[in-house]
Formats: sequence, C-alpha cells, structure tokens
Amino acid sequence: MARETDQNQSFREEALPHMDAVYRFSLRLSGNPDRAEDLTQETFLKGFENWGKYTPGTKAKSWLFTICRNVFLRGEERSRRHEEIVAETADQDPRGISKEATVFMEVGDRDPDAKFWSQVVDARIVRAIDDLPAEFRDAVVLSDAEDFSYEEISEILGVPIGTVKSRIFRGRRILQKELFRYAVQEGIVKDRPSHGGLDEKGGESK
Amino acid sequence: MSWMDDLRRLLRQAKQEPPAEEAPGGVPCGVALEYLFEWLDGEIDDPELSSIVGVHLETCARCYPLLTFERAFREAVHRATRSETAPEELRERVLRSLGSVGMSDS
Repeated sequence: MARETDQNQSFREEALPHMDAVYRFSLRLSGNPDRAEDLTQETFLKGFENWGKYTPGTKAKSWLFTICRNVFLRGEERSRRHEEIVAETADQDPRGISKEATVFMEVGDRDPDAKFWSQVVDARIVRAIDDLPAEFRDAVVLSDAEDFSYEEISEILGVPIGTVKSRIFRGRRILQKELFRYAVQEGIVKDRPSHGGLDEKGGESK
Repeated sequence: MSWMDDLRRLLRQAKQEPPAEEAPGGVPCGVALEYLFEWLDGEIDDPELSSIVGVHLETCARCYPLLTFERAFREAVHRATRSETAPEELRERVLRSLGSVGMSDS
C-alpha cells in the first residue's frame, strides 16, 4: 500500500508536469487538436499503467514521448512515402547538410543581424513544421522545440544517431526554405528583382 | 571512428581546398561548418574539438553571420512551438481518467 502511494506521488511529480509537452507533441504528430487531446490522455493512462517499469529520477519526459509516439503510430497507417524518405535520409552525410546554408546565402547580405526569423509569425512557423514530412517533423520538434539530446531522440524514434542527425539537419533546411518562401511572399524579405526566390529543387543558388 | 580520425580526415580534406586567408581556431571554415549544427546543439562530446569549432564559428568573419542566422532560426522555432499549452479541460479530463484507474487525489 505504501508502495502504491509512492508510485502515485512519483507519477504526479515526474510525469504530470510534462502534460504541456506531451500535448504539444501530440498536436504535431496528429495535426488535430481533438486527436491530440485523446492522444495525451492515452499517453498518461498508459504511462500510469506502466509506471512500475519506469526508473524514478531518469528521463520521464522522453519515456512519455516514446509512449505517445507508439500510441500514435499504432493508430496510423504509414504510407510508402515514409519508407522512401527514410531510405534517402539515412544515406546522407549529416555534416554535409550543415554546410548547405542555401537560405542563408539568399538572405544573408540583406539581413546581417538575422532579424528575419523574428519577423515570421509563430503560427506560420508552427504550420510549416506541421507540413514537414513526418520523419523530419518529429526529429526537428524533439530537438528544437523540446530540447532532447540526439541520444534521447534516437531512443524515442528507435533509429541510429546518424539518422537522427540527418533528419534534424535536413528538416531544418526544408523548414528554412519554406519559411523563406513565405517571407518573400509576405514582403518580410524583399525579393531580388532578377530572382524568383529559391528554385523548387532547393539547389545551391549561384 | 574516433573524433581524432574524423578530424584528421577533415584536415586532409581541407588541405585540398584553396588555403583560407585566416583560420580562426586553427581550422579552415569548411571544417568548422561541418560541425556547425552539432556544435550549436551542444552535441560535440570532445571538449577540445568543441572548443576549436566554437572559437572558429564565434570569431570567423565569414562564419559568424551564419552562426547568428542558425541561432536565430532555432530560437524562432523554439519560441513558436513552446507557446502552446494543454487546455485546462484536457488537464482535468486526464486527472479524472487517472483517478478512475487508481491514482489517488494527492
């Protein structure tokens, strides 16, 4: 009985404070507030049920995120597109990606203090994240929104660290291109008269 | 492969590139930029490598603007996504359902 009370208390102290984070992750995964609420509830119920398997004082947040993603995936049909993206990114050297600063090359000389990003509205950033292919979206969200380490992300997603890096780095580049396109459209960044923004393939600009 | 092997490979590669006018931190831009994201994410385990890359990125006239750009981008993503919180009725609903499976009130 005393053990049960301890479990209750540790769940309250270690798991429940992550409700906002789990809800946010559920929103990104499902793209739908109703589904996100269900997913959050299921995650905490499953977490509570399995709390005995959790080692107190370790990483409750990543433990809950793993459950959350598993619950979500169980309810999802994964498309073939998914497999193709995984195959493509797994092959790519992540360090090459950090050097390909295509959007920076476009925007850099017109915005030396990088004010550009702070002028893009939050809702548009969130929408662009939601529009990323799932593999990139999950990796970017776990890293840049939730501050998990590469190792923790590798555990949550069940993929090697090299793949985690490829997905985060590539995901950031796709997101930057998308937001840059939006910024040009909205006049946040002035387009070059001779240039229609980034080309579709996202290749290096001259 | 250890980071030393990694570094040796990169330095070998860098020698084939045209020489940089200056190489802050003792490494050329190409090498430091390969580690840009990892450095920004605080994910370079080796303190020596981390410091070499950091000195370069923070002091190189060519790389620093890119570092600023990537930092601002990461902050924007963080800010935009973290503003969302669980609705109050969801919080209550979760607590109620946990109560029904045996979690006590306090």
